[in-house]
Amino acid sequence: MSNTTTLLAWRNIWRHPRRTLLTITAMVFADILLVFMLGLQFGQYRMMIDNSLRVFTGQMQVQASGYLDEPHMYRTIPEADPLAGRIRKNTGLDAASVRAYGFALVSSDTRTLGAQVSGVDPQHEPLVSSIPGLVKQGRYLQGRSDNELVVGSILARNLNVRPGDELTLLGNGRDGSIAATVAPVVGIFESGNHDLDRQMLSMPIDAFREMFSMGDEAHSIVIGGKRDRADRIAAGIRAVLPADKELVLLSWEKLLPGLKQAIQADFTSAWFMYLVLIVLVAFGVLNTLLMSVLERTHEFGILLALGVRHGRLGRMIITESALLALTGLLLGMLAGGLLAWYFLVNGFTYPGMEAMGERFNIPSVLHPEVSLRSLLPGPLAVFIATLLASLYPIWHMRKLRPIEALQTF
Amino acid sequence: MRKKSFLLLVVLLFTRQPAADSAIDARAIIREAIDYYRGLSSYSEMTMTIHRPDWERTLSVQAWSSGSKKTLVRVTAPPRDAGNATLVLDDNKVWSFAPRINRVIRIPSSMMSQSWMGSDFSNKDISRTDEIVDQYEHRLVRIDDQEGHKVYVIESIPHEEAAIVWGKEISHIRDDHVELQHQFLDQDMQTVKTLDTLDIQKMGGRLFAVQQRMNMQEKVDEWTEFRVLTLDFDRDIPDYLFTLSNLRNPRE
Repeated sequence: MSNTTTLLAWRNIWRHPRRTLLTITAMVFADILLVFMLGLQFGQYRMMIDNSLRVFTGQMQVQASGYLDEPHMYRTIPEADPLAGRIRKNTGLDAASVRAYGFALVSSDTRTLGAQVSGVDPQHEPLVSSIPGLVKQGRYLQGRSDNELVVGSILARNLNVRPGDELTLLGNGRDGSIAATVAPVVGIFESGNHDLDRQMLSMPIDAFREMFSMGDEAHSIVIGGKRDRADRIAAGIRAVLPADKELVLLSWEKLLPGLKQAIQADFTSAWFMYLVLIVLVAFGVLNTLLMSVLERTHEFGILLALGVRHGRLGRMIITESALLALTGLLLGMLAGGLLAWYFLVNGFTYPGMEAMGERFNIPSVLHPEVSLRSLLPGPLAVFIATLLASLYPIWHMRKLRPIEALQTF
Repeated sequence: MRKKSFLLLVVLLFTRQPAADSAIDARAIIREAIDYYRGLSSYSEMTMTIHRPDWERTLSVQAWSSGSKKTLVRVTAPPRDAGNATLVLDDNKVWSFAPRINRVIRIPSSMMSQSWMGSDFSNKDISRTDEIVDQYEHRLVRIDDQEGHKVYVIESIPHEEAAIVWGKEISHIRDDHVELQHQFLDQDMQTVKTLDTLDIQKMGGRLFAVQQRMNMQEKVDEWTEFRVLTLDFDRDIPDYLFTLSNLRNPRE
């Protein structure tokens, strides 16, 4: 029975090939747009996350538990260097770098400002942070224990220093003692992140430890690498963390909660636009379906007179729209996927992106994502909206009487 | 008619008087407490203990003060920190000297509320100038009785244009000018930290709060305590002590 219904429905929709094709085209175009836009959006989010993380945060960090909420200097990772070594060995990933943070009054000849001092491992830092590649004047740090500084561009401007000048740092060590040093500026970085450029200077980790009485400790071990391998890397790190829970592994979502929220907010507002598009397509389909039902009133009258029940008529109409929608879904996913895939392979760029990429040491081409989560939701939503649209004509037909119907032409 | 206006004047005088009185009183009490605390000049030796949940350290400190603005504080022990010194010449004129790098650094006013030598006292707290007298509006909230003493509870709110981080300070000052408690509240009127006097003794010829502890409100088990070991008032302190060159190269 249902085979007959399907066959009837299939034949019915092709009785007006042009109209059907137009309807399907509308769906396909909406699908293409949704698939491509979603893919582009996911690609953009990934780029946003990667760009934010690669500046300084890294993909994940090992920290002493509680340090994230209250970054007290004495909440440290003991024996940080051997631990970082074990992490590198166990994950096979070189991008693991120890860091320590402190606060200091930074004084040039003319000005004194408060600033964040980060102690970094010059050898591994370039693997987890893009700052070493963003030194615009001078050079990056070299030896682990060299007493030298790399300063954020805005901070350097505010202090009125250039590479070669000396800065005096005065702060408090891990044990509360006075931490002080005089060190030359060897480079000035411009990360594009306003906060870092304005507030941060870096010095080699061992020089930092000497100044801040940190022994062999650090405040975080920053992990870089590709995010799609994050789970495996995290497992590899957890395996070498001491079991006493004093140390925690934090994902980027924990480290930069604002980034995730920004993405969610953007995604929500984008979906509202998509919803409008889907509703527009649904009304277009509704129009076609309603027309095709109304013009067949006489024909339905004959079917009813022959003993076909209303239920079966309804099923036929819904099958018609399901077939229509399914064709749209498949073609739409195919076409949208192909388009997104083309740009995935060839890259998508818009004017100005290249200059920006060069300036901030980030990729200048966008690669849309092609995955189930970018391919499916849009076309599926159009599909469901089409099915919902067919309910109105069915409801309209439910009380059709054979005699009256037969009198309609 | 004339009698009536005279009466009105009398009424006005009497109704206005108490309010004006308490305003003058509160400010005067604060002023006297600071003068009492600082004397014309003073010299003291103290220990400062910084307590944290997992560690504690004690510094030995010498301090000189002159008038209501000038203060010099020098760390004498432990050896690692010895020689570090802070010179205060005015409310926002503070310099710090670090012997390890042999440099004098002017503390910018934006850093005045930062911790002093890692303690719970800020650079501002250490200077203990009489800034509060003129930069704040004072109000006597109530008078408590404590062991036969009157204790004035005074609320001080910074003037609109004053560059003060606090929303309000509340001082408990005994009628013999000894301050028993000093509370610091933020702009939302939440207590941030409280300075409690733990011990009062006769020293340097006057009753003095010889043991005071700064407690951080939100952080249990974090405090900094000053204990006065010797104290001498109104001794002749030469002016050269309060100079940048003496900060760098102590002459004593």
